[in-house]
Amino acid sequence: MSDQLTRIKRMVATLNAADVRRICTALAGGLVLALMTGPDGSITSPLYGAQQSFLTAHVIGYLIFGAVLAFLMTFRAKTKDGTWRRVRTEPRKTFVQTLAASRNVMRKTALSLTALVSIGVALIFADISGPPAPHKISWHEIFHQFLFTRTYGYLLLVLALWFAIANQLFQLSDKRLTSLPRPVLIVGGLVVTLFLALCADPFLPARFSLDAISPASKHSMFHHWTTYFWLVLGVAIILPWVFKRRPTITRRPPRPMATLRSSPSMRFLTYVIAGFVVLEAPKYLSQYWQITLYQQIGVFCLLAIGLNIVVGFAGLLDLGYVAFYAIGAYTTAYFSGSLPVQPPFHLNPFLTIPCAIIVAMMAGVLLGLPTLRLRGDYLAIVTLGFGEIIYVLANDWVRLTGGSIGTGLVANFSIHFLGINYVWNEANPLSYYYLLIAILLPAIFLFDFLNHSRVGRSWAAIREDEVAAASLGINALKYKVMAFAMGASTAGAAGVFTAVKVGTLFPNSFVLQLSITILVLVIFGGMGSIVGVLCGAIILQWLPSYLNFHAYLGFQQSDLYLYIGALLVVMMIFRPQGMIPSRRRMREFHDAEEGLGSADPLGSINQESPS
Amino acid sequence: MFNYLIQGIFAGLIFSLLALGYTLVYGVLRLINFAHSEVLMTGGFAGYFYLHYTIGQHLVTGNVGETLFYIVTGVLISGVAGTIVAVAIERFAYRPLRRRNAPKLAYLISAIGASYFLLNLAGKEFGRYPTATSQPFDNHVVVTLWGGQITMYDFVILAASLVLLVTIDWIVSRTKMGRAIRAVAQDVETASLMGVNVNRTIASTFALGGFMGGVAGFFVAINQGVAYDMGFKPALFAFTAAVLGGIGNVRGAMIGGVVLGIVMFTPIYWLGQPWLEEIIAFSVLVLILLFRPTGLLGERLGRTA
Repeated sequence: MSDQLTRIKRMVATLNAADVRRICTALAGGLVLALMTGPDGSITSPLYGAQQSFLTAHVIGYLIFGAVLAFLMTFRAKTKDGTWRRVRTEPRKTFVQTLAASRNVMRKTALSLTALVSIGVALIFADISGPPAPHKISWHEIFHQFLFTRTYGYLLLVLALWFAIANQLFQLSDKRLTSLPRPVLIVGGLVVTLFLALCADPFLPARFSLDAISPASKHSMFHHWTTYFWLVLGVAIILPWVFKRRPTITRRPPRPMATLRSSPSMRFLTYVIAGFVVLEAPKYLSQYWQITLYQQIGVFCLLAIGLNIVVGFAGLLDLGYVAFYAIGAYTTAYFSGSLPVQPPFHLNPFLTIPCAIIVAMMAGVLLGLPTLRLRGDYLAIVTLGFGEIIYVLANDWVRLTGGSIGTGLVANFSIHFLGINYVWNEANPLSYYYLLIAILLPAIFLFDFLNHSRVGRSWAAIREDEVAAASLGINALKYKVMAFAMGASTAGAAGVFTAVKVGTLFPNSFVLQLSITILVLVIFGGMGSIVGVLCGAIILQWLPSYLNFHAYLGFQQSDLYLYIGALLVVMMIFRPQGMIPSRRRMREFHDAEEGLGSADPLGSINQESPS
Repeated sequence: MFNYLIQGIFAGLIFSLLALGYTLVYGVLRLINFAHSEVLMTGGFAGYFYLHYTIGQHLVTGNVGETLFYIVTGVLISGVAGTIVAVAIERFAYRPLRRRNAPKLAYLISAIGASYFLLNLAGKEFGRYPTATSQPFDNHVVVTLWGGQITMYDFVILAASLVLLVTIDWIVSRTKMGRAIRAVAQDVETASLMGVNVNRTIASTFALGGFMGGVAGFFVAINQGVAYDMGFKPALFAFTAAVLGGIGNVRGAMIGGVVLGIVMFTPIYWLGQPWLEEIIAFSVLVLILLFRPTGLLGERLGRTA
């Protein structure tokens, strides 16, 4: 006991001024959090909120949080520089590495156990996603699932995942899938895709029958659009993968986890699983979450990947991004005749998508051409002003936009074509969602492709050092305007989806706060990384809808922007590259801190800016 | 028309006060302090609470000494509140980044975050509805010039801002602190080699700008009342004013504010739509940036302010 005490005393004695500052920061952070989650005050009793936050039991939990944070931060710093513990000379082996190195019994047990667990997981998935009748998960029910088609889809997915991981970790076979002959790969890939399409088809009878795969049958899967969607997705994934150039250089010695992450089979699987989640999972949500998924998450994913081009790829700070969103939405309203100004001809909302994209793009070019020559921080303020102008126009130019009382009703998406008559309606939010996905997925692939093309490399060059890029013959203005216009057109498309779903547009839906929110999605997720941005958008947009129901630990929806502001500052101090950063962006931030390059065309602080 | 002109001049004086904060910080750090709007908001709330708990509901009329006392103490209290917030912003949102030599984008985002945090904290603690402030004087029309009415409030602003603008000009160009600010603006490394405490100088720059911002907040508060988002629009206009006068240039910011006020408000006489003033202001901003990005008096980054 006394031994422990002396040890702790010795540890405390090593604390220096920096540690004390760190501890104070963490405790103060806890206090600020207590204030942020405390009750609201009012103008007549301005101290009420602080009083209730600091002088009641409310503060205790947050102080404990601050103390734990302080301990963790100190512990990390102290073990990192070796004060509290000897620095390890050779890296410790992880559990997985030990397992992978072991032979025989251990290995076989691990393999068979994980395989069994995988099958169980597949069955449970199949059971959960089964008919919505509420029932308990019982063994009987689970084995019953073998009668249904979708079970086989889940089994295929999970077992393939298991095989991919096990193969990387345990080297089950040294043959790579890509070394098979190409025709075999293509045919195999198509068969797997069709099989997944069969399993994922929501309209088919759930029970397994041959009817589903014979094109002649009335219940055939070939009569449903989801099949073709899966086919397109499959082809889009298979082709580049099959025709990938095979590496000729010798590989580095394999690091199991790293190779796992970069192996093509894993990437393929990730795509398939993501596709499954994106297309299948929404069907089992309640209507509230389906609407949230479309309006809060889907549309904002589209907006976020659009802004990611401007901020993440080209490194330009655009604070008026919502203006283009508004332009897209009001264009839709204009062409469906719901503004006070009547259009020359009415258009189906499907046709207004390209119109909105073009109009928003033109606005982007018109704003971009003069202003993108400016210094980065001037650009920020000009775009901010542009956002305000668009808002003021929407709010006050009553004769054009209907003003603050809103526009008339915007027409809904509808198909009247070749005998098909289908009108999208409120009762089925998922119909909008799938339509959005049909725009979002191509956009994601297009932007990813662009980022890895000549254009993307030019953006990166401009972002890292505009002068050097210009000296290599890159027309910086052209590429910046291009990024701006692409971002704008994406926002325009998002505007159409919002306009059609919401029905009536109000200027208050296009305020500056929204621009900042979208910027936060991009920064939180990780500038320049599409996956990161999507994750950021999903998490941060899901959160407020969740807080709408549960004031968990005092977090409430009305204080959302308070949390967002604090999050921005904290992220910029501790993790400026975002949650899932792109590797290149991370290196840029790191280089900038070392004094190499400037990470963005805004220029480093200490650098003399050209005037 | 003269009415609009006068309205423009006195709104412009407030922009000038606020623009000083932008221009000083830009001169030293080369970045837009996006959180400066919250300095105005804090000054406004400080002034509101001071007047609310001293004057309360009763109307101060006729007694010149009393009015003067309330205004001077109110200006000081708001200014000090603004100073505290500005220095706190520098300390918590900028200094950790500066220590790491972070890229400029990080500063902008951190400043936006700080601004959002303060804005919504005020909204949470003080309620999200605008409130009128107790009046330290009777706001009657004093003089009518060619149809333009100059009120008591206008005279107060004119006097206070003239005093402050002259003082700040003197501080920046004549005192030791001002010399340190100019030295850091010119070259951070050399200044620190010459024995200038860079961190303290940057903090004092924020403090000076914060004081002016707080005072501007006080005047906005007595005229238009307080609201948690009261800082947003004046701050945008003030930034425009700073760019118009030539960013980094202290006298430029003063003149830019007044010119912007006149340019913004006077055309409303012919156009008749008050909401156009914002559009005019931003069009002015874009036009200046396109045709004369150095502003009316020229940028003074690193030269004598």
